[in-house]
Amino acid sequence: MAEVDFEKLVEEFYMPLYRFALSLSRNESDAFDFTQQTFYAWAAKGHQLRDTSKVKTWLFTTLYREFLAKKRRDERFVDVEEDVVFAEPPQISPSVINEIDATIVQEALHRLDERYRAPLTLFYMEEHSYREIAEILSLPLGTVMSRISRGKAELRRQLSDLAAEESRKILPLKGDAR
Amino acid sequence: MKEDAFLRGILSIHRGIDSESDDPCFAEAREKAESDPILGQWWAQEKELDRVIGSKLASVHLPAGLKARLISRPTLPARPRPAWTRAALLAAACLVALAVLFGSWRGPFQPAVSLADYRDEMVGFIKVDPNLEMKSPDLAQVTDWLQKNRAPSRLNLPKNLQGLEPIGCRTLRFRGRDVALICFKRKEGSLLHLFVIDRAALPEMAKSSGPEISREGNWMAAGWGDGDEFYLITVQGDRQAIEAYLSDT
Repeated sequence: MAEVDFEKLVEEFYMPLYRFALSLSRNESDAFDFTQQTFYAWAAKGHQLRDTSKVKTWLFTTLYREFLAKKRRDERFVDVEEDVVFAEPPQISPSVINEIDATIVQEALHRLDERYRAPLTLFYMEEHSYREIAEILSLPLGTVMSRISRGKAELRRQLSDLAAEESRKILPLKGDAR
Repeated sequence: MKEDAFLRGILSIHRGIDSESDDPCFAEAREKAESDPILGQWWAQEKELDRVIGSKLASVHLPAGLKARLISRPTLPARPRPAWTRAALLAAACLVALAVLFGSWRGPFQPAVSLADYRDEMVGFIKVDPNLEMKSPDLAQVTDWLQKNRAPSRLNLPKNLQGLEPIGCRTLRFRGRDVALICFKRKEGSLLHLFVIDRAALPEMAKSSGPEISREGNWMAAGWGDGDEFYLITVQGDRQAIEAYLSDT
């Protein structure tokens, strides 16, 4: 395949890759390492990829595999298949979300189980089709859809909880106390 | 009712983007949403909510200097090029030579970069303490290492800067050029960072001689060209703090 300029590649993909890594690892330092390892892997093996249209999927797949490899080293990782279920997510008003900042949305995402976190992050990035998400995560298409559906429902519950926690943090001014 | 919940479940994961338009599973649910105003309105709200959540996630803070750190990877062994590639490169070189000869070449392939671009990226990089690839208090060892790693290593520094003890160095990449970063220990305990790049990387500075001083937050930066090199130093503090390193007295 044609040579892909390394710096241009980093320029184009470092932000979504880092954000995906951050959502998986929930840790800035690990997120950096996963992103860096992904680009290292590209520098070493990227030339083997024959189809340039697959570069983005290749990078995300590689990053996810790096994450899984570390996870398997850190703990015994058991991935079980589940039934395909599409659930209507609980209602939450866009105005509530508008009042919440990026940190809280990220915190809510980080509270989810990894099996939902990974597909949901790729879903919200809107950079990948469902087939690409399935390829990146090495999961059947139906499982991806099901996990996104469940993940969205769980994310909204977490956002509601966090919004409630935030509102409890707002204390009355001393002058108001009687 | 059960069917309605199932449809909403399907629509809730349908982002309405091009890559999903042909999916039969989504197509059927979409048709239903188009013919049912209540379902259609519900789906529109869902997509709006997803858009807001997606935009919040996309605005998550990225660490300072992330891109520069990712680009500054170790040099990888060059892959052997097939013979046809060498021939193609030779042909390309001939074309460039001809273009230059007949005056039709409009300059470098990449758009010119400004000092501000360079300074912002370098200052962003050192806002988080950089990892050093080589540590030594001996400047000769530091420049030796830089030379071996094909980074700029010829230093012609003001005397006050020469008086500082280095702690180490590393290489970076900026728009396809190697940059040497040397960290020095200041008397107050904080660090002074010196970046050296080939002057040709910053064409707008080609004729400039005097140092250009600027502030970015609590960082001061001074850049100047000398010979074939362009130097940039950064310190935390005020203008006086950085000017102290620019003089020979």
